[in-house]
Amino acid sequence: MNIQTKSQFVAVASITSELSAVMVVAKEISLAAANAKAIAFRAGDKAKGFQPITDFINELAKETIELVTSINVYALSLYQLTVNEYRKTIAYNKFELIAELSKDAAHAHSMEEPLEKAKLTMENCQRQFKRDVKQLLDQLEAVMHHARAARVIAANSRIEASQAGEYLQSLQAVAESVDKAAHTIHDNVQRCRIALSLYRNN
Amino acid sequence: MKMTKIYEGSHQWIMFGRDENKPSNIIDSNQYAVRTANKCLLMDPGGSELFAPMMAAILHHAPVEQITDLFASHQDPDVISSLGLWDQALSNAKLHAPALWEGFIRHYLGCESIEYVPIPDNGGTIKLENIELQLIPAHYLHSSANFHVYDPQAKILMSGDVGSALEPAGTPMFVENFDSHIEKMRYFHQRWMPSNHAKRAWIERVRNLDIDILAPQHGRIFKGDDVKHFLDWFDALQVGVAV
Repeated sequence: MNIQTKSQFVAVASITSELSAVMVVAKEISLAAANAKAIAFRAGDKAKGFQPITDFINELAKETIELVTSINVYALSLYQLTVNEYRKTIAYNKFELIAELSKDAAHAHSMEEPLEKAKLTMENCQRQFKRDVKQLLDQLEAVMHHARAARVIAANSRIEASQAGEYLQSLQAVAESVDKAAHTIHDNVQRCRIALSLYRNN
Repeated sequence: MKMTKIYEGSHQWIMFGRDENKPSNIIDSNQYAVRTANKCLLMDPGGSELFAPMMAAILHHAPVEQITDLFASHQDPDVISSLGLWDQALSNAKLHAPALWEGFIRHYLGCESIEYVPIPDNGGTIKLENIELQLIPAHYLHSSANFHVYDPQAKILMSGDVGSALEPAGTPMFVENFDSHIEKMRYFHQRWMPSNHAKRAWIERVRNLDIDILAPQHGRIFKGDDVKHFLDWFDALQVGVAV
């Protein structure tokens, strides 16, 4: 296995690992939203502006979880495609070697068709890998969009929290946890994108 | 890859082995082909490293599309880990291999176009045009589901690991002096073969066959009286010595 293939395997496998961390964080946001909703309910009028935000945070967490679940399925199929591409490339290289080794064999010509077929299959796999990487990058961009939205919500939450009197500290803690979670999601997804973008145009 | 015709009649038996370009850290193995007018059977076609030289050698005897049957005596990597590559080269082939090993052998990623034909424990046959080869049970020698191939017409028994010896590169194809060959195969059989009971059952079965050539997967081939010498020697040997 050459270095390029090894790093392709590592890149694809690392996406699943990064995304499982994103999933944990998205679930934390969902919990923070439930917590915030309870505090805002107790705070009554003092946290009136905060109440609709909690629903929004919850919705955002739910959408992120759904998105990551679907990306994980996609990442798994990309991994299978990587295995398949590796297998087809090995076969093609071996078939080329056979053509070289069997030059003087009576039936050497019979390898021409399998060789041509192996070449086409390998090239198809490579094209499909690039297409799938592009699609996965688009899906990851959608998660990034969610993370950015979560940060805006966290900023708004801080403003609303400042008007919540004795509930200020509790609601600010919620805003902080949403902001921290959004940061983590952003960083993890960004690592996935960097790892994959190498293969978009290769 | 050296090619030696070991039988020529209405069909041919060809032995492939002693590949000079083989990586030194993998053991040498013998591959066998039975060639009829329009078909070709490969027995224990070898590991992935051997695929290219093996295919290149076969092309001296048969075109790719006439390689219609593969046989794996058992599941070991030196026997059949090349399956995934054969699968991509052959468009119309069957793999005859132990039924017990089917789910394991499929780990070699090789049955997308090749059809897996499971061999039941009591054996079976492979029909190759007008010849019929018998699949002789050799369970626990050394693998728990293991078969050998007997050709009653050519009087050849392809005996898998039974009769094998691990020798340096360039070893002659045939046993020339049985007595001096014994030490080359003693430890292999004592250590690899687990059961004296299984060994006796196999010897009993094989003594009923008319065999001119006993062709193992490693080392030299036995012919003529050396076949009987081998059976007598193996009969007396205690195996399964690691416990």
